[in-house]
Amino acid sequence: MWVVPPRLAMMDLSKNAQCVLKILENNESLTTTEILEIASTDDYANLCTDCAGGDAFVAAANQLVEKGLITKKFGKGGYRWQLVKE
Amino acid sequence: MATGEGMISMVDWTKIRSDFPALERTINGRPVVYLDSACMALKPRQVIDAMNEYYEQYPACGGRSIHRFGEEASDAYSAARVKFAKFLNAARKEECIWTRNATESLNIVASSVKLPKGSKIITTSLEHHSGSLPFVERAKRSGLSIEIVMAQPDGTFDIEDWKKAIDKNTSLVSVVHSSNVTGTVAPMKEIVEIAHDCGALVMSDDAQYAPHHPLDVQELDVDFSAISVHKMCGPTGMGVLYGKLDLLESMNMCFYGGDTVSDVRFENGKILPEYLPPPEKFEAGLQNYAGAIGAGAAAEYLQNIGMHEIEKHERSLLKVVLKRLSEMEHVHILGTDDINIKTGLVTFNVDTVSSAHDVATFLNDEFNVMVRSGWHCVGPFHYQMGIDPKKGTARASFYLYNNRSDADAFLSGVETLIEASK
Repeated sequence: MWVVPPRLAMMDLSKNAQCVLKILENNESLTTTEILEIASTDDYANLCTDCAGGDAFVAAANQLVEKGLITKKFGKGGYRWQLVKE
Repeated sequence: MATGEGMISMVDWTKIRSDFPALERTINGRPVVYLDSACMALKPRQVIDAMNEYYEQYPACGGRSIHRFGEEASDAYSAARVKFAKFLNAARKEECIWTRNATESLNIVASSVKLPKGSKIITTSLEHHSGSLPFVERAKRSGLSIEIVMAQPDGTFDIEDWKKAIDKNTSLVSVVHSSNVTGTVAPMKEIVEIAHDCGALVMSDDAQYAPHHPLDVQELDVDFSAISVHKMCGPTGMGVLYGKLDLLESMNMCFYGGDTVSDVRFENGKILPEYLPPPEKFEAGLQNYAGAIGAGAAAEYLQNIGMHEIEKHERSLLKVVLKRLSEMEHVHILGTDDINIKTGLVTFNVDTVSSAHDVATFLNDEFNVMVRSGWHCVGPFHYQMGIDPKKGTARASFYLYNNRSDADAFLSGVETLIEASK
């Protein structure tokens, strides 16, 4: 189970970043498109507000990689994103 | 120096490149390749220095403070407007209004221009959201109709579509001069002639055109032009609205307050304002003096190099990139390949990855090549072309500081991406 680091409360993250984390918490490993598709479903409507063009959303995901909260790996078909579990 | 067209350019592009401090950076030991100028252009020292000079030497309020700093700020602020008017070849400097960006310029026109009730506004499927939405909303508010001219799949327009759409009931046409997605340049002069023959005004979105091509508002005879200074080597948060003076005079004001008035009398318990003519009537409150001075410096910087030279330089790079990209299996280019009607950008998709964001992320991570991905604030054209806006398109945009090495690094990055993702 993923645990929010004590010094990094969810509220410190942008809504897009929170949405990415939530999606990856509920899924093992996803492509960029899969994350964006899930983000636009009703289940994430309250969190995802800026996924229409995808760019701001993926920028948020890349920031989460920099923070060490998720990983991305490039291979056949493009990137796959995954939660870092502790 | 040879260009892609076999012509000899007198411009020392290597020296030009050295004007841009951001290009001196290395990331992970490698130089940066900046190909996102259609979003944000880099800033030359000349612009940065002009703005720093204001902040360091005379950081005062222009137009009213009678001390030395105020006088110097006023002079620099006024000179900046003259430089910008010259850049556009406006008939008078008063026809250039300082705004925050092209979006604000478009919104000022959409909200303030007088349009007859029941008339029609025309815009296109290729507009940036900033070029269409202000007019969509104005039409809703004022009970006007709105008609959309469809761009062709390659981003060009069929002039016959304009002839059919514009009629005597058309009051305004809002059209993007150069598309930030396809790079295609609209036949503005012809559109203006058709519109004016029917008595309609033309609002030209020059956010992408002005930084990359010679823009002569008098020759084109556009009624309004919107420009984002940050895309033309100037500071962020600065834009320009060009308007023919009589139209600007006839328009309603958007913001009221200090600096917009010639007098504010108080008679019989009533406050009675008398407003200034353009440009002041559109520039309420304390202005972004440093920004305006930077905008003037940017306009002067580009003009000193020569807009024809810049256009030629970008197209020489574009020619190489379009040729190589079009030869790559799995790459799909959006927009015309005719560089004579194209700004220096290429938008594309790679079908071996699931989204354009993967292209932008990979090029950035592996090659320090900075391109843009997304729908580029042009949702309607992506929908028209059947491209899921979430998956988006990738866009590489070139400017005067880019060189052949940048183009090669980009192309090499795309080739590597395809191999690694097959």
